[in-house]
Amino acid sequence: MLKVDNEFIEQLKVGKDFNASACLNCGSCTALCPLDIELLPRRLFRYVLMGAKKKVLENTNSIYSCMLCKMCEDNCPAEVHIVENVRSLRSYINRNVYRLEKDSPVKKSRSKINHANTYK
Amino acid sequence: MTKRRLGVFICQCGGNISDFVDTEQLRQSIEKNSLVMVAQVNMFTCSDAGQQNIITEIINKNLDGIVVASCSPKLHLNTFRAVTRRAGLNEYQYVHVNLREQCSWAHTHDKKAATEKGLRLIRAGIAKVSLANSLEKLRVKTLPHALVIGAGVAGLRAALALSDIGVGVHLVEKNHHAGGMVLQWGKMFPNDKKGSYVIKHLLNEIHRRENITLFTNAELLEKTGHIGDFSVKVRLGNNDTISLKVGSIIVATGFDTYIPQSGEYGYGLTGVITLSEYEELLASSMETLQYNGKEIKTVTYIYCVGSRENTKTDKPHLYCSRYCCSATSHAAKCTSEMNPDIRQFHLFRDVRTYGKYEQLYEKARNNGSIFLRFDEKSPPQVKEEKGRLIVRVKDILTGGEEIEIDSDLVVLVTGMVPRENAGLVNILKLPVGKDGFFNEIHTKLRPVETVIDGVFICGTSQGPKNLAESVTSAMAAVSKTGALLLKGYVDLEPFVAKVNADLCTWCGNCAKACPYSAIEQTIFNGKQVAIVSPVLCKGEGACVPTCPKQAIDLEGYTNRQIESMIDALAKEVINEKTDA
Repeated sequence: MLKVDNEFIEQLKVGKDFNASACLNCGSCTALCPLDIELLPRRLFRYVLMGAKKKVLENTNSIYSCMLCKMCEDNCPAEVHIVENVRSLRSYINRNVYRLEKDSPVKKSRSKINHANTYK
Repeated sequence: MTKRRLGVFICQCGGNISDFVDTEQLRQSIEKNSLVMVAQVNMFTCSDAGQQNIITEIINKNLDGIVVASCSPKLHLNTFRAVTRRAGLNEYQYVHVNLREQCSWAHTHDKKAATEKGLRLIRAGIAKVSLANSLEKLRVKTLPHALVIGAGVAGLRAALALSDIGVGVHLVEKNHHAGGMVLQWGKMFPNDKKGSYVIKHLLNEIHRRENITLFTNAELLEKTGHIGDFSVKVRLGNNDTISLKVGSIIVATGFDTYIPQSGEYGYGLTGVITLSEYEELLASSMETLQYNGKEIKTVTYIYCVGSRENTKTDKPHLYCSRYCCSATSHAAKCTSEMNPDIRQFHLFRDVRTYGKYEQLYEKARNNGSIFLRFDEKSPPQVKEEKGRLIVRVKDILTGGEEIEIDSDLVVLVTGMVPRENAGLVNILKLPVGKDGFFNEIHTKLRPVETVIDGVFICGTSQGPKNLAESVTSAMAAVSKTGALLLKGYVDLEPFVAKVNADLCTWCGNCAKACPYSAIEQTIFNGKQVAIVSPVLCKGEGACVPTCPKQAIDLEGYTNRQIESMIDALAKEVINEKTDA
């Protein structure tokens, strides 16, 4: 059971910073992903739209494995700004999960984020 | 009677017939009949060349009757009647045999039997045409007035268009005021016009027209007469009745909204409302959306309520109601334009925002509406928990996961259902389809005509439509009415009952049997006899078997013709090659 978490939706600024409601669920993005990230971005974006906080945070590794190549975005028939959305998710996680401050040194953050071996 | 000279034209229908029926074998058998001067097989008898060939044969061989054995007469009866006329022969000296729908297509598994049946059918056609009388169509005058039943948007628009082309209109509305369903609606798709505005505009124009009379709180009580010249009785108010003469009748009685059963998707709980109630709420709200004094932050729409109930067993509504996906997308657009922070979840089965309305769907999605797709077999559940409306749905688009939406408002997108109108159906003898809506003759080719000559249907009385489609069909009914009434006359089929006054001894059986009151008593050569009014007679033949003296017969379907056809059908096929 996924509960729609309105607070989470507001924190992510869904509809503003994160915008994927135009998604038609066609799956072009998944098919084109050179990293074959199953979850990205289609299923993940649904979780965000639904405000399914737990599901989104469970998949932090996938969110960071994207190389932001824009292969999906260039071919999205609904013109969803996929890469911007991924960035805004990372930004949320950086701030709220890893507690990274704006000015934190990059080195420090690297030691905290362990996202190796997420390319399945 | 001199010996008949008949022509038989067998069509292959490019294989549709000849793949299963041996047309050449039929031709050889038929040719043996001494009345048959010409027997031919054609690839396409209905083609220009095929038609010209028939005309040439009629003239050259001096034929006095023809049989065309091809497709259903529904398709080409009038084609070959015209061919017969062009050849200078009476069009009722042509008989159509249905060798395709009723033979080749029905018996694709057994060619031998299909060929044998084909032979019997053609034999019957020959038997019928050899006894055919030359008949003339019955010409009756038409009155340039129409009765329009129902003053909703379709009826109002039809009345105005009839008025435009010079047909006087009596517009009858059951309610106390005109306007129908549209009057109650708020902003409508696609251009945000309010329903009340549209109706007001139409009514202003109606009142300005001298040749339109609008009767509200009125109802049709009785209809007699025939196409082009009906007499109708209309109840006005509580006691008065008025008699009117009209040439045609347009039925625009509209639909009823589906009312969910108590408990269906939580219907009955506070905050579970129908789409039309939501539209009213939207129309009356300015900046914030409130329900029961509480601000609305999350709206959940549930689609296809009362539509496409394929798994329901008890009186299901199997059809799609057509307007609802577009209307809901439009409502979502209006909602987000009023307050973009309102979260909207659409629980749909399939989105059918066809044609230009696709843009509404796109707009709704771009404005943040989220669409969740459910399967009919696992419908969403709506429950009240701690004063909140909780909607649970298995969303196919999120991998079939169950989603729980905490909602302030649940909007049930209800479909259209046929309006109960037993009285009117009975008076006009309207054909009602399985789904409860009125039936046209042909969905594609004769979309507003009914089997009752001179009675047309339009709008949502014939099935779910959006406003634009309703008005389009109203215009179609107007053009059919105009074509009928403005010509000044109408030609009717001459298949009517005829009394042999010499044999008749007036017992009254036939008059009692006639459902159209077409038979009356008269005096002929000093004795009482029956007489048939040809314009009232529908030629359905209920009178014929009741006559003890066999003094009544049906033109075009005489007892002799029918008997000889039965003989021909029953006659054994011993050797198809030599037998005819």
